[in-house]
Amino acid sequence: MYPDVESGNVTDQPPPGDGPPVADAAVPDGTNVEGDAPDVEPTVETPEADITQESELERTIGLTGGLAIGIGTMIGAGIFVFPGIAAGEAGPAAAASFGIGAIIALLVALPASELATAMPKSGGGYYFISRALGTLPGVVVGLSLWFGLVFATAFYLVGFGFYAVDTLAQLGVAVGESLVVPLALLFGASVTVLNVTGTENAAKLQNGIVALLLSILVAFLTFGGLDALGVIGGATAPEQFAPFGTMPIFTTAALVFTSYLGFAQIATVAGEMKDPGRNLPLAMVGSVVIVGILYVATVFVATSALGSVALGEAGETAMVDVGRDLLGAPGALAIVLGGLLATMSSANASVLSTSRAIYAVSKDALLPARASRINLRWGTPHVALGLAGGPILVLVATGQVQVLAEVASFLHLVQYGLICVSLVVLRRRDPDWYDPSFKVPGYPALPVVGAVASFALVAFMQPLSLLVGTALMIATVGWWAYYARDVELKGAL
Amino acid sequence: MHVVVPVAVLENESVSMGLVNLLSTADVTVLGYHVLPEQTPPDQARAQYEDRANAALDDVMAEFEAAGGDAYHRLVFTHDRRQTIDRVADDAKADAYAIAGTTAGVERLLVPLTGDVDVDRILAFVTELVGERDIAVTLFGIAGEAKADAARRGLDAAATTLADAGIDVAMRFSKTDDPLDALTDARKVDLLADAATDHDAIVMGERAPSLQSFLFGDESRRLAAESVAPVLVVRREPEPDLEPVDTEPADADRSDDAGGSGDAEPSDGATESGDADESR
Repeated sequence: MYPDVESGNVTDQPPPGDGPPVADAAVPDGTNVEGDAPDVEPTVETPEADITQESELERTIGLTGGLAIGIGTMIGAGIFVFPGIAAGEAGPAAAASFGIGAIIALLVALPASELATAMPKSGGGYYFISRALGTLPGVVVGLSLWFGLVFATAFYLVGFGFYAVDTLAQLGVAVGESLVVPLALLFGASVTVLNVTGTENAAKLQNGIVALLLSILVAFLTFGGLDALGVIGGATAPEQFAPFGTMPIFTTAALVFTSYLGFAQIATVAGEMKDPGRNLPLAMVGSVVIVGILYVATVFVATSALGSVALGEAGETAMVDVGRDLLGAPGALAIVLGGLLATMSSANASVLSTSRAIYAVSKDALLPARASRINLRWGTPHVALGLAGGPILVLVATGQVQVLAEVASFLHLVQYGLICVSLVVLRRRDPDWYDPSFKVPGYPALPVVGAVASFALVAFMQPLSLLVGTALMIATVGWWAYYARDVELKGAL
Repeated sequence: MHVVVPVAVLENESVSMGLVNLLSTADVTVLGYHVLPEQTPPDQARAQYEDRANAALDDVMAEFEAAGGDAYHRLVFTHDRRQTIDRVADDAKADAYAIAGTTAGVERLLVPLTGDVDVDRILAFVTELVGERDIAVTLFGIAGEAKADAARRGLDAAATTLADAGIDVAMRFSKTDDPLDALTDARKVDLLADAATDHDAIVMGERAPSLQSFLFGDESRRLAAESVAPVLVVRREPEPDLEPVDTEPADADRSDDAGGSGDAEPSDGATESGDADESR
């Protein structure tokens, strides 16, 4: 019944009231300014459940669920919001920008997978970094993950607003772009409230939406690909690949990197994944590979169909015009519906990740414990969901698509860089508890390149985004100095 | 013999004294569980509710221990009740799990043998559960016209097995007017719930997951809800690679017991006593 740590076997008699022995992890030390210590529960992980002293935590998310979280979070931004903006900035080379993003995401997804199999706990990147590098980087990343997800969600919601307005236009109700932000706010508030009060299992719905989106996209890409290669449809004038030079390829890559933020969100549910040693790497790497291929193909098809100038002018919902160009009104309708679903699923998935990110830091006494309270009425973490939803609505009100996206990427990229650093540090220090079942190929080159690439991409962002991102990180350091300076988390499993 | 008794411990679910006493011949794992919506990591609920839940579980445990059997308890926070019960039952090598219902004392068990269930396992379980106590069993069959004879012969054989083990057996058989052999689950649940009214608890076999159970929920859970009585669900044969060891010795034990207690009253009225055709 209760697994024996030494052998990994299950013994027959549960020792009543006596917990399983635990490996040599350090005991967390110190308290925050309120006198709370991190709640670090000794845990034995099995593929099916986590077993603590007094209870068990069932692992219920399978590979499909993990892929759905990753793809569902990512696909809304990369395919339905960015192609127009990216093509306007980089020309047909926008496809290369998405390719660069995919490579960087992959360089991070592999180290993150190794860390996640060694520490399959909720909290994702924050957890790895706080355990490998200590409390200060932990606070910076943990709170930045919260803010980063808030910015990302606001960005998805504004994207949703654009698609909602376009849907109304398709239905013959022309309301103009002035309603983008109000609709986004309305939907953002609904998502938050539904997540607090809804106890229906939306995971199956999310899986269904992702499957539907993938089918729409594959159909679209097959048709568009044939068209782009000149097999069917009229010939399109070939366009210069990088009309604005190479620099915009990188700045655009920095902008569209928001399309890849979802893979690390899989690690925020690592504590709930079945057989994490197998499913976490497959879900993280798999979702990056799948969406990376889809993004590059979509942008290629879109720029071939309409030309990058027209795409750039069409902005956030340029894909609707591509759909119309390729398949007429039904094509436009399919893309509009796809865009609505995709941005909704991105926003919802990332609100859930935000709540988990807040829980992870609050559990470690880096935020007040009441931030992770849950209510028995609905069983939902209403405080954390509120801490996600409130700031999201404020940011949505700004309506600044590009800045929201870039700040989100900035905050995530710092985390991604530090994930790679954590991997190198742990491999070198090699503590006894560090026993990943998945190992990164090409160590140490791969994580080092991953770290350098993550940090380097930040440098290509616009000044306002850099300013906002840096200010937020400095604020998190301030919070550490005030609230959690005495908490020691390094190696505290 | 081992039975898992799941209790939704934070939702004020409790185990009726009747069920506690019925299970006094079995080892019991009390499975306290709490189902969380997907928004909530199970760990987050643990931090907040673990103490409360364990205190409630200790009370349930005390009742089982007072009744005589060996009892263990486990507390699980989960998103998926079904998966948790299966895992814990596998871990404990349990023969059955319970669905708590209300009953005062158990004098008569309803044992439906319909559909694709493992009759041998069910009968073995019932024999061991009843033990030497004075608990009567009604075997219940449902079949359409075409298969009525075969189903009735199966029921007769089962009744003989139980009677040989010294259990007071009755039989009930519903032949349906419906020409289709394959009844819908909903109809079956109705018939069984009707039959359950003059019984105190139900022992039934676990069935393979099907489209119907996916759409409408487990037959056993629906029956428990309809009949309000406790239901013991005898689990299917475990996958061969999972637990190859445990089932054989259990069977051997059972036949020993049956030999010891079964000679006393090979109730000759067994097959006639309750043979009521309830054609509908």
